[in-house]
Amino acid sequence: MSQRDRVSAAAWLVVRNAHTAEDIFQNVALKAMTKGVQFESVGALMSWAFITARREGIDWLRRQKNAPICLDNTILELLEQEWAGEAAAGDIRGQALRDCLEDLPSKSRDLLKRRYFDGHACEAVAEQLGARLDAIYKRLSRLHQALKKCIETKLEQPAG
Amino acid sequence: MTLSEEQNELLLRHLNGQLGPDEEAKVADLLRGNAGARAFLRAVAEQAVVVADVERINQHKPQPVKVVTPVFRPWKWAVAAAAAFVLMAAFVIATTPPRHAAKVSAILGPCQYIAADGKVRDEVKVGTVLRVGDTIRTRSSSAWVKLDLNGGSLMTIAGRSRLRLLNVDGRRGFQLAYGNLWATVAQSAGARPVSIQTPTATVETKVAQFDVETHSMTSIVRVNSGTANVVRLADGQAVDVVADHQAVVSARRSRPFAVARQPEPVNAWNCSMLAGQGAVFGKILPPTAEGRSRLGAIPLLIGKKTTIYVANFSVQCSGSPPVLIEGGSRVRIRGTTRTDSPVYFGITTQRIKGGFFGKYSAEIGAGALGQAGEPWQIEVPLSKFKPKTENVPDLPIGMELTDIWVFSPEESAELEIHRVEFLPREVGQ
Repeated sequence: MSQRDRVSAAAWLVVRNAHTAEDIFQNVALKAMTKGVQFESVGALMSWAFITARREGIDWLRRQKNAPICLDNTILELLEQEWAGEAAAGDIRGQALRDCLEDLPSKSRDLLKRRYFDGHACEAVAEQLGARLDAIYKRLSRLHQALKKCIETKLEQPAG
Repeated sequence: MTLSEEQNELLLRHLNGQLGPDEEAKVADLLRGNAGARAFLRAVAEQAVVVADVERINQHKPQPVKVVTPVFRPWKWAVAAAAAFVLMAAFVIATTPPRHAAKVSAILGPCQYIAADGKVRDEVKVGTVLRVGDTIRTRSSSAWVKLDLNGGSLMTIAGRSRLRLLNVDGRRGFQLAYGNLWATVAQSAGARPVSIQTPTATVETKVAQFDVETHSMTSIVRVNSGTANVVRLADGQAVDVVADHQAVVSARRSRPFAVARQPEPVNAWNCSMLAGQGAVFGKILPPTAEGRSRLGAIPLLIGKKTTIYVANFSVQCSGSPPVLIEGGSRVRIRGTTRTDSPVYFGITTQRIKGGFFGKYSAEIGAGALGQAGEPWQIEVPLSKFKPKTENVPDLPIGMELTDIWVFSPEESAELEIHRVEFLPREVGQ
């Protein structure tokens, strides 16, 4: 997972909208550039980026009507720490995920697209696809697990 | 900790924003106490942003014309790419320790490049960039390499020399294991001082033109402009060597360590075999029955399957003042060879109180050496020496003599040198 993907993912956990998460990442990057902040290590920079992204996300939520309930700050911090502590081979993981997505059947990709790119709630997706809501959750759950496993398998394969 | 499918779905429902307060509390407890739950949630978040990213890219691929709702604006993608670049650059700046590099700007003769990872290349090309940990060595008396250190700073190593780039805090670090080095360290914005470590000394400077000749027991540092701080490793004593001064740094504490003014140049020199100090490469042999001291040429591997047999004599190491090369100067060498094969004489030259100038050599045919096994004495006028490269004058008149070398390509020649002299022009010339 690249640093960009991780910061965007952390923002997504707060706002649950991929486009807003991308906007937040851009703002964080812009702040890093314009404020001229210097960091002694990757850890320090990542820590600052996660906190800034979280604050931006919470600010964005406050401006929304019917915003989802945000996770407790302590949980978000825990998740961010785990992200920051992951191995540096993040870019390889990001590419592996992209490769795994390409290998998915078109129906599965369509489901993910509707949910995460189009930003539809699961109820709307169920309605669009003429499926029951429970079935959508099950399919999404299995898809996420399958992608996670696919990444791990790809990372275990020797580079060639 | 593995999660049940129900727990996975609970987390997905939470992300869908449809849970009531009781179920949200359950989610919070699950995430606090279960690393597997957190890993799943992070995986979903990563997959969500990457799915969106991939779809954005797909929407900008050429597609058959159709009306679509423009969800993503091109300018936004450009900004995203720029922002990603900026953040990645910030990471690189934050994590990459400041290191220096040197680019090969000119080269002559056999050289070897040993990368920090241990890879060896016997052919070095102009443009090769040396980084911290990399080593370059010039393998024969006639070889040299010029390095560009950026910011107007230059370095040359020549003869049999070995230079490695070191990681020294706040410095552009080098290790000169042996050989000759000439350096011009220019003042430029943001440039760090240069630090050169030899077996006996550390030389540091911010701005200076200087040269270093080093062997296992001695280093000689001459500063022609600027100032260099020189530390004797044997006892940690430090001196500042200013322009037109020099310091001799021995591995022995008992030897004097002081800054002295560079002596005025002379126009003649001879290398006493008995004193031995000027003979920097070769094997001291027992004196002959007539009491003549001798230096035997020793093998020097200069490339794959190529060995020459060399004896080398350094002006500085002999303790002599600088030797000025004049029109009409001559090199006179006495020695023996056991076969009818040619020998080669060479000289290294540098600018008076300046940097490296060039190498010149002359072939002495077997006919001039007389009968094999019998002592010969050959006097070669300066005009018979040829430059090793095209971009230097035919004759190094007005330059300083750095060293003289003699070699034979044949082991069976058993080349021995009995005396080496550099003579002034003859009176009346």
